Amino acid sequence: MAERFSAVAKRWLYTTNHKDIGILYIITALFFFVAAGLLALTMRTQLSIPNNNVLTAEVYNQFVTVHGLLMIFWVLSPFAFGFANYIIPLQIGARDLAFPRLNAMSYWFYLFSGVMMILSFFFGAAPDLGWTLYSPQTAFEFAPTIGLNLGAGALILIVVSITMSSVNFLVTMFKMRAPGLKLRRMSLFPWSILVTIFMMLYAFPSFLAAVLLLYVDRAFGTFYFSSIQGGSLLWDNVFWFFGHPEVYIVLFPALGIIADVIPTFARRPLYGSKYVIGSLVAAALISFVVWGHHMFLTGYGVITDKLYTVTTVAVSLPFDVIVISLIETLAVAKLRLKAAALFTLGAVALFIIGGITGVYLASVALDYALRGTYFVVAHFHYIMVGGSIMGLIGGLYYWFPKITGRMYNESMARIHFIVSFIGFNVLYFPMFLLLDMPRRIATYSPDTGWGLLNLTATVGGFIFGGAQLLLFYNLYRSARVGPPAGPNPWNGWTLEWALPSPPPAHDFDTIPTFMDDGTIHFGSSIGLPNGSSHGIGEPNGSSVGHEYSSIHSEGLSPWPILMAFSAFIFFLGITIGKPASPQPVTYQPFWPLIADGVILGLISLLGYSREKFNVHEDTNVESWPFKQVPNMKLGIWTFLGAEVIFFGVLIGAYFFVRTASPTWPTPGTVFDIRNGFAMTLVLLTSSMTAIMALASARAGNKNGLIISLLGTLGLGGLFLYIKAGEWFSLGSSGVFNTYPLPATSYFITTGVHGVHVVAGMCMTVYLLANALKGKYIKGDHATLEHFGLYWHFVDIVWVFLFPLFYLI
Amino acid sequence: MSGVNTNYLYLIIFAILIGETDIEVNLFSLNLAFSTYASILLGLAATKAIMIAMFYQHLKYEPKSLSTWVILGIVIASILMSFSFLQLSSHSFHYTS
Amino acid sequence: MAISNMQVQFDNLFWLFTYLAIAVSVVVFGLMVIFIIKYRDRSGSSEPHDAPILGHLPVARGHARTAILTVSLSTIILTVLIIGSFGSIDTILSSPAPCNIQISHSVTYNCSVLVTGHRFYWDFNYAGFPNRTITGAPSCQQAICIFAVPQSEDIRLNVTSADVFHNFGVIAFKVKADAYPGHVNFIWFNAETIGNYTIQCYELCGPGHATMIATIDVMPLGQFVSWFNSTIVQ
Repeated sequence: MAERFSAVAKRWLYTTNHKDIGILYIITALFFFVAAGLLALTMRTQLSIPNNNVLTAEVYNQFVTVHGLLMIFWVLSPFAFGFANYIIPLQIGARDLAFPRLNAMSYWFYLFSGVMMILSFFFGAAPDLGWTLYSPQTAFEFAPTIGLNLGAGALILIVVSITMSSVNFLVTMFKMRAPGLKLRRMSLFPWSILVTIFMMLYAFPSFLAAVLLLYVDRAFGTFYFSSIQGGSLLWDNVFWFFGHPEVYIVLFPALGIIADVIPTFARRPLYGSKYVIGSLVAAALISFVVWGHHMFLTGYGVITDKLYTVTTVAVSLPFDVIVISLIETLAVAKLRLKAAALFTLGAVALFIIGGITGVYLASVALDYALRGTYFVVAHFHYIMVGGSIMGLIGGLYYWFPKITGRMYNESMARIHFIVSFIGFNVLYFPMFLLLDMPRRIATYSPDTGWGLLNLTATVGGFIFGGAQLLLFYNLYRSARVGPPAGPNPWNGWTLEWALPSPPPAHDFDTIPTFMDDGTIHFGSSIGLPNGSSHGIGEPNGSSVGHEYSSIHSEGLSPWPILMAFSAFIFFLGITIGKPASPQPVTYQPFWPLIADGVILGLISLLGYSREKFNVHEDTNVESWPFKQVPNMKLGIWTFLGAEVIFFGVLIGAYFFVRTASPTWPTPGTVFDIRNGFAMTLVLLTSSMTAIMALASARAGNKNGLIISLLGTLGLGGLFLYIKAGEWFSLGSSGVFNTYPLPATSYFITTGVHGVHVVAGMCMTVYLLANALKGKYIKGDHATLEHFGLYWHFVDIVWVFLFPLFYLI
Repeated sequence: MSGVNTNYLYLIIFAILIGETDIEVNLFSLNLAFSTYASILLGLAATKAIMIAMFYQHLKYEPKSLSTWVILGIVIASILMSFSFLQLSSHSFHYTS
Repeated sequence: MAISNMQVQFDNLFWLFTYLAIAVSVVVFGLMVIFIIKYRDRSGSSEPHDAPILGHLPVARGHARTAILTVSLSTIILTVLIIGSFGSIDTILSSPAPCNIQISHSVTYNCSVLVTGHRFYWDFNYAGFPNRTITGAPSCQQAICIFAVPQSEDIRLNVTSADVFHNFGVIAFKVKADAYPGHVNFIWFNAETIGNYTIQCYELCGPGHATMIATIDVMPLGQFVSWFNSTIVQ
């Protein structure tokens, strides 16, 4: 018994299998869904009658904030990415994700970050200023609790998780598609995920930079958000640049599910499929230039107002095409109204209402009255709960038989839909009518006349919340005793339905092939509908399949969870340190936890890199447009793309405060040009030695390789030495008092750059150790090359920082 | 990319990078207008960055799709900055409070 | 009933949006419901000829003209809404001329007010009278706590904050402005009906957010002048 338990525990803790990780994501997301939902129900109880005192204003604000943060970061996206993890490799015929251990690490970072967010309740108070974390209320002066530090730490961890996932999925979907599966042949769910990770990749670095600046302001008393030159406006820009794409990030996967589920149950192909795909791409691109509509009332002038009104209204056009295509799909169909179909159709209906009311908010003129009211709350809940959550629940019913191999109780599921749909509208529709009531108020007086509508909404909230018990009961029970579902209960065409339910650990025995005539050949006949004459390809059980099944049974790794755990305790150590007084902020991190985190992190990093974990790259796969680029190299470049945005935002923040400042010290007065010049020469030289190391490795010259690497390491050290000297002399000269903003931007930007140099030096040490053992000189220099890409990027960043901080 | 030639290439690139840096630190002696001065400096930095990316990160020898991918990231980063400035220019600041 | 010029303008625009929204909804939901009822799976209904099945890519269908038609129709509707919005925003962001109210023979007032948000109350300073501050807080009902404005005059507000991000809103007038430190936002209105209206904060600013309420009292000109004389001019 105990042995069995440890085996089960080991499987789930150490797994790197995309299907296991998908299940973990779904269950964890549902857990956070319940937690955040209970917060919401408590808030609805508080608001049910005027002058209620179930919650104090302080606790109410914490609930508002954590409800929003949990739902957006820890429920919507991870729920969708649970499906993506499980289903996408099956649908595109990949063996797994490109980097299975990285995938496991993403999950564990996600879980621990969520734990950290909830922990914030137990350290003074959770964040209490809304999920938008508007500055300057985040300043230590106004929010003197450790809870907000923990919240910031949690957000940093989840952005790390999301960035790892984005890189992983992009490489997988670009490079590992089944032969013949051209991008345009993918169904809508993979397409929506592809577009989503594209947005994640470019939006989240902005958020990471924003939260980092926020945290440094709080911890070290820097001035980005506490100064009026940065302050509210700087935060608004960097936050909403991320914030608007984020809205589509949480919506698109559900749209993809909807657009795949409806055709399956309507028994007709999606109408205008390529226009739907085009619309998703168009909406994703436009989403990066509409963020100003979240700050219409900050007063940036009539021209900018009009510009953002037009872009925001324009973003509704692609959604019109999507909705019309979905409805057209139903024409001359044979629509089976199973639970998954009901939920996805319901999601479309609610999404239409949410979309139409979104056009109201796109109008700057109406926004002057509607901003900050319950009309906004109603609008985005129609999108996020109505569109996303309902669509995702549709996906849950759709794929439940595939994942568990058992069928759920259909009539209970239909009742669940009816009650949810009614409850939803009773809950959120009255909020449209509350267009005078401010958001996020803990209570209101009876003479406002808002009582009845609020009471109605609360009743709806409990109906909607209670309906979800049906879902959990149904799925919990059906997973044990439901009748076997068979491989393809819905008669779907996508590849996952060709496998048994649940699919074997190694997925396909042989990868399916998409032929030019549109038929799909499977290696075995498992799961094909009776009487189908198509899809008979090679015989079952090719040698490739056996090879993979053995890899997957051994595909356990303890390092991802250990790495995530060490990051968790490291950030815990950093964030729970108690600042003693607001002015000036003194800051005491909890060193024992930080030390533990660093040690454990180094151990797991070493274990991770030394572990033998082979990931085979298939060669005869569809990989346009990156045919000649190896997976790892594409991954590194994709990661560097995110880094470009990250540093772009940091440099943008510097520009922002500088432009807004009336004066700025002339070059050479504060930051010594000689120091900058010396560091530039050192870093440029280290880039040269790094490329020489690669050249030596290519030429098979071991000594040259070792000398070049030593040179790179030494020059990196010299760079840091000069930097440290400069930091020390500037810090002791009181530069924060004389030049608060120049000092803030200098220390933060060069500090982040310095951390990158340190990380590069750690890699150099690892490369050196391997080079001494004779590696990299027999054509196996890929790792060396990848390190070089990173190191030169760090060099490029400095090439810009040098003139910006020392010469201009 | 054969072994011997690339080493010379890398050294030539290195020399150019150092030369450009030299120009950067001596540019102030020309007493240019601030906007010209700043533009030239950032332009020089951009050419240095492009040289490093093309040769040291050998993007020049990679498939086009990869460089397109990288450029896309830079374009989006630039959008953020330019739009922020558009707003900044129309905001009123008062420094009294 | 006309309460303020901005409210009249908002109502017109809001109903334009709403009529069009209802029209669009009727068409879209109508189609959806009809299709769901008409084409639902009934005994005897036959499998469509292009039904997607495992082992085959689904048949590509759909016309470009549907997408073009959708986009064109939407563009027409949205253009109407954009034009309406632009007309309104031009009014909202215009700056009306100062008024000239004769308070006494030597004192005039120009209808400009500096509004400052604090955690958790509002301060009002009438332009030209910086030493007299009206503090609007729900608990206070004396004359010094009432923010009074004259009826049918263009009242110009400069809104800012002394601490965190607030939003100044007189919801009955449909007037709002972000209030955040270091910046002054301009907003104006013309109140047409006398009476008391609620000022409330529309951005979460801390534990007192819900009670960051003040009263604006719209008075006939004569009453305003005497109130101004007794409360502000001293």
